[in-house]
Amino acid sequence: MTHTDEDLKSALRRCEAPEGFTDRVLARVANEQAVESTSGRESGLNIFSRPVLPWATVAVASVALIAGGIHYRNVQRERTQGEAAKQQLMLALRIASSKLQLAKAKVNDINVNQTKNRQVKE
Amino acid sequence: MRKTLLWILLAATPATARAQDLKIPADVEKLSAKAKETVEVTMDGPMLKWASKFLSAEDPEEKKCAELVANLRGIYVRSFEFDKEGAYTSAEVDALRAQVRAPGWSRVVGVRSERDGDNVDVFFKLENDKMAGIIIIAAEPRELTFVNIVGPLEVDQLADLGGEFGIPKLNHESLSKAQKGEHK
Amino acid sequence: MAMADRFLGEASSVAGADFAHLVRRHQSMVFAIALHFLADYSAAEELAQDVFVQLHANLASLQSEAHVTFWLRKVTAHRCIDHKRRRKPPQISLEDAPEPSEPARVTDPWMARRLRQVVASLPEKPRLVVILRYQEDMSPEDIAELLGMPVATVKSHLQRALAMLREKVTRTIGEGKT
Repeated sequence: MTHTDEDLKSALRRCEAPEGFTDRVLARVANEQAVESTSGRESGLNIFSRPVLPWATVAVASVALIAGGIHYRNVQRERTQGEAAKQQLMLALRIASSKLQLAKAKVNDINVNQTKNRQVKE
Repeated sequence: MRKTLLWILLAATPATARAQDLKIPADVEKLSAKAKETVEVTMDGPMLKWASKFLSAEDPEEKKCAELVANLRGIYVRSFEFDKEGAYTSAEVDALRAQVRAPGWSRVVGVRSERDGDNVDVFFKLENDKMAGIIIIAAEPRELTFVNIVGPLEVDQLADLGGEFGIPKLNHESLSKAQKGEHK
Repeated sequence: MAMADRFLGEASSVAGADFAHLVRRHQSMVFAIALHFLADYSAAEELAQDVFVQLHANLASLQSEAHVTFWLRKVTAHRCIDHKRRRKPPQISLEDAPEPSEPARVTDPWMARRLRQVVASLPEKPRLVVILRYQEDMSPEDIAELLGMPVATVKSHLQRALAMLREKVTRTIGEGKT
């Protein structure tokens, strides 16, 4: 395997999914199943022949589940956006740190050269 | 043999009046048109606070970042990589340096290297004798980086982060090896 | 033997398998493919979630763990291409793909960053081919079957992508390789 191949394998290695990913998938699946089962279709005649109260309960439960699903989605979106912002922050700090270290290295180099020059003169 | 010319300014350069709120100068943004790759980070105070909520106290690197950014008011980074040397001119870099002029700003490091073409300037901002910001302008043959960090910070803490992120700490020995070896 | 044929011989269905177990087992693979392709952390998570929700709906048709892996790679790949075609480019900078949350230390993290940036800038099909080759260690034949393209095309994509990567990736003194 060439050097580039090794670098690519290293750069493209699998990375961990965000924390809580599995829980969010399971919650989404459960939510979608619940929405499907409570808002299932019935024939027009059957709807009006059923007692109103259970029908209203189903409607309210459906709205609550959908609202809950939307809220969940919003929370999840905020979390993933937050993670992305965090990574941006760390990237910025890495870049700043590396350039500071470049400056320090250059200063060290000067000091060493100056010391050498002084020794040569002596 | 090319003579190496290195000099350093340690005395504070008096500042002249300029806009107080320096984030990213317009001249820096123009350079993105020439770059083949650009890294842009713009985070004001509220965004910084929000992003740092997601830093984990259990991860040593993230914990250090959280401590560093706790009181910052902004981080602005533009880093450009170019296809070839000479994509930007020294006049453009001089213009950038000239824009870092506002009360309280002092240039504390200015390194020019003819040998490898790396030029680095570091500016500190002081308010009531305390560090209130740092600007770094690093002009390398194929890379130009502008960093502006607003707010109180420990410079050594920032420099030390390099070791935490897996970027080797630059010391004299490693720099010498780099200069002898794979220097481009 | 074609990859698909390998799955058909295995008897047990995964329909009864613990779905949560499947998600935990395969989440890093799916997420990483999406992340390396899209170079957008939040879009990658959303896409990865969509893939697993779709997996749940299709569990009954999957015949083995190997089939699940094949199915996940294929669906993730196609969703990545669909995503790119439907959406605008991300608003934030080119490199917003984070370092892995629990990384093994990379020898040169700046090289890794450059490589990921350049991979993310490749055209869609070559980008997918490179990711499947180097992240998933798939052979050109398996990639061809997954993506529904000739093997010669896969090899050609790989060759040109590698040439582009070698040419584009550069190192500077400040990035610390000694």
